[in-house]
Amino acid sequence: MSGEADAKHKTIFLVEDNRADVRLIEEALKNSSVPHQVMSVRDGVNAIAFLRQEGEYVDAPRPDLILLDLNLPKKDGREVLAEIKADPQLKSIPVVVLTTSRNDEDIAHSYALHVNCYITKSRNLSQLFQIVKGIEEFWLSTVTLPSQ
Amino acid sequence: MVIDFHAQGIDINSLKEPAIHIFNQIQPHGILIVLAEPDLTILQISSNAIATFGIAAEQMLQRPLSEFIDPFQLERIKSGLNTTEDLDLINPVKLWVRKTGDEYSVFDGVFHRNSEGFLILELEPALAQENIPFLSFYHLARASINRLEETSNLREFCQIIVQEVRNVTGFDRVMLYKFDNDGHGSVLAEDKLDSMESYLGLHFPESDIPRPARKLFASNWIRLIPDSHCEPITLIPAINPISKEPTELTNSILRSAAPCHFEYLHNMGVGASLTISLIKEQKLWGLIACHHQTPMYVSYELRKACEFLGRMVFSEIASREETEDFTYRRQLAYVQSTLVEYMSQEENFVDGLIKHKPNLLDLANAQGAAICFGNNCTTIGKTPVAEDLNFLVQWLKNNVQEEVFYTDSLAQVYPDAEKFKHVASGLLAIPISKRNYVLWFRPEVIQTVNWGGDPHNAYELNRENGLRLCPRKSFQLWQETVSLTSLPWKQVEIKAALELRKAIVNIVLRQADELAQLAADLERSNAELKKFAYVASHDLQEPLNQVANYVQLLEMRYQAQLDADAKEFINFAVEGVSLMQTLIDDVLAYSKVEMQGVEFELTEVDTALDRALGNLRQRIAESGAKISRDPLPTVMADSTQLMQLFQNLIGNAIKFRSDKPLEIHISAQRQEEDEWLFSVRDNGIGIEPQFSDRIFVIFQRLHPRDEYPGTGMGLAICKKIVECHRGRIWVESQLGAGATFYFTLPVGGRDRERRSGRKTQNDLFGRGQ
Repeated sequence: MSGEADAKHKTIFLVEDNRADVRLIEEALKNSSVPHQVMSVRDGVNAIAFLRQEGEYVDAPRPDLILLDLNLPKKDGREVLAEIKADPQLKSIPVVVLTTSRNDEDIAHSYALHVNCYITKSRNLSQLFQIVKGIEEFWLSTVTLPSQ
Repeated sequence: MVIDFHAQGIDINSLKEPAIHIFNQIQPHGILIVLAEPDLTILQISSNAIATFGIAAEQMLQRPLSEFIDPFQLERIKSGLNTTEDLDLINPVKLWVRKTGDEYSVFDGVFHRNSEGFLILELEPALAQENIPFLSFYHLARASINRLEETSNLREFCQIIVQEVRNVTGFDRVMLYKFDNDGHGSVLAEDKLDSMESYLGLHFPESDIPRPARKLFASNWIRLIPDSHCEPITLIPAINPISKEPTELTNSILRSAAPCHFEYLHNMGVGASLTISLIKEQKLWGLIACHHQTPMYVSYELRKACEFLGRMVFSEIASREETEDFTYRRQLAYVQSTLVEYMSQEENFVDGLIKHKPNLLDLANAQGAAICFGNNCTTIGKTPVAEDLNFLVQWLKNNVQEEVFYTDSLAQVYPDAEKFKHVASGLLAIPISKRNYVLWFRPEVIQTVNWGGDPHNAYELNRENGLRLCPRKSFQLWQETVSLTSLPWKQVEIKAALELRKAIVNIVLRQADELAQLAADLERSNAELKKFAYVASHDLQEPLNQVANYVQLLEMRYQAQLDADAKEFINFAVEGVSLMQTLIDDVLAYSKVEMQGVEFELTEVDTALDRALGNLRQRIAESGAKISRDPLPTVMADSTQLMQLFQNLIGNAIKFRSDKPLEIHISAQRQEEDEWLFSVRDNGIGIEPQFSDRIFVIFQRLHPRDEYPGTGMGLAICKKIVECHRGRIWVESQLGAGATFYFTLPVGGRDRERRSGRKTQNDLFGRGQ
């Protein structure tokens, strides 16, 4: 994927290790009204490298929205979230935790780390599609975010 | 005669303890000379010297002894004095003293150096016919020892000693006298003229041989008073010219006794006395006291023989005393090792001490015992009540620092003990740690003590020559009834208690280790369980979601191409996944009931019920259920679990409703055995009574899923919640006649501590709290 995305195109950065879920979210985003590109990595270490434009991600665009799973290889979502929110350059990017976990501790912990919102993946496909659409519309067109 | 000394403003103790050892007088049967070394210059001499030397004492002062005693004799002595520290090795020295012309007297000369370093020579007339050569000395000892070896018990042994001493000395009465802890003495053995009144078994009050006298006996092992009616002789001059003080005469053999002592002897009808000290572990254990009705002289050598006999046989007494209880000690050792074994077998060592035979009581021949850990006392046999025990332990904590405390009269040191004297006049206690004690009790035993005279009138006050204490005149049998006193604890019992203490301390330490290990294991397995619960809630569900989502995506995307069969198959697949997801959720909920580190708190049942109804409001609305309730109490409970309990029960009532309009009633009733009985009654389809137990078993269902959906977990969770609160749950129902679910909760949640595991673990000695 190229970093030379159209300026009007929003970049959604998906951090998710399960390819089936990546594909499902991409499918859900296909019906979107907002022009966008989806970029994804499958572990926490690559997620941070991407965001800091390090190594092979030197040309990576700054995402407009991060969809973050919690259970990731190498570096898990909680650590990734903590690093983003501790980084002055990155902390203004909205992060949505999108996960299967309904664990109270996970929820509390994520908000303690200043996640922008925490969403449990629905078990029902049409509900899931609606959720993803909702996230995208809310974060990419409804809200006003600080310019870079 | 009873004298109120206090009323007269007299300090009885100062009168009781005259400074006996500085009495600067001697008995008249010998001559005492204080000498300055090395020239043996005479510093002081007893005024009776004139009778022997024919020269007035005053005229002998500051002159060398050699002027009065043949220098040839003295040369030998001088070399002995210069070479030996222990002057006893040269004693006695036979000395010939010329009075006038060819008139010689033979003396036993006895040297010693006093604590101030002055050399003191005492001359006693040597009586040739009583000269005891070494061989006789040996025979005397051997004969005694041979007899002693044949005896088996201590009393018999003491009896032989007094007989032997009387044989060789010829005294009218010889007694063996033993001091107890209070300083009182009792006569263990006696040999006497038949005509004399017996003192055997009598007790003599402490004041008969007051502390200063006992101190003297401890350093001066043999004391002779050949004539109790003699007039004491003074030294000339009375004050030592070098030290400017009266010469210290503690170890003098001629030293006069206190006037009081003479009086005492007179009152007892004693004309002469010989006292041999029995010393055990540097302490005065007792005395061999020899009395003669008339004056009697015993030669230095014979006295020494008696002292030797006293020392030798006494070392035997000491070891006899220790082996006296040999059988008993062996029995206690057996009890002790058995107890240690029981303690290690039982989960709680306390059980090991009380549950079997032999038990704690047998270790100290006690009638009651208590193991007090903190405020928790486990008792066996006859003991004070719990409240008294707690106060007693508190008192011990504040007043006893030793490894063992024992008394045969607790009320004397702890007056509150009088009210439970019937069970605990005697106490033997070992502290295990600061707040923890093992106690043994013995009841009061009324004892009669025979005193040789009334111990409360052991002295009289004499005002004739200034203020002075006089010994009593009456030695008539005086019986005292001793109350508030138990049988005394034997040394072997005290030792056994101390041994047990060691064993308990070891076990407690080991148990603490094991508990710490257990706590660590529990913490680990708890952490693993949490991990598992997380895996179940997340990792197991992810693949299920994936299956469901993609099957649905297929259906959505390819709707046009699929026929009815394909759509039905997809539905089954989605249903299966959905059921699996519900099952996982329910199993998780079930496991959480136990896992949650819940704290019980005061919970309004009304509030928990309201929350449950809130969660169910959609289903309640759909079913049109009418829900009513009685006033509900406040209980100690976990409110979330209580809410879930109501939610499951009411949810079931809605699910299994009949065609009739649904009515649900919740009520609570206080029961006698301190618990609340709750009920949730419905008018639904009911349950056949034969299934009333089965429905609470995990995964058990009475209906096919397509009729009544569910996992078969709901009531199993209910049961677990109720049991976690130490309650019971059951159902009363008939098929078609509605069902009433009952459950109980204890008032005030008595199992609070049980639930907060940490507390139980830290309380090592918590017994079923």
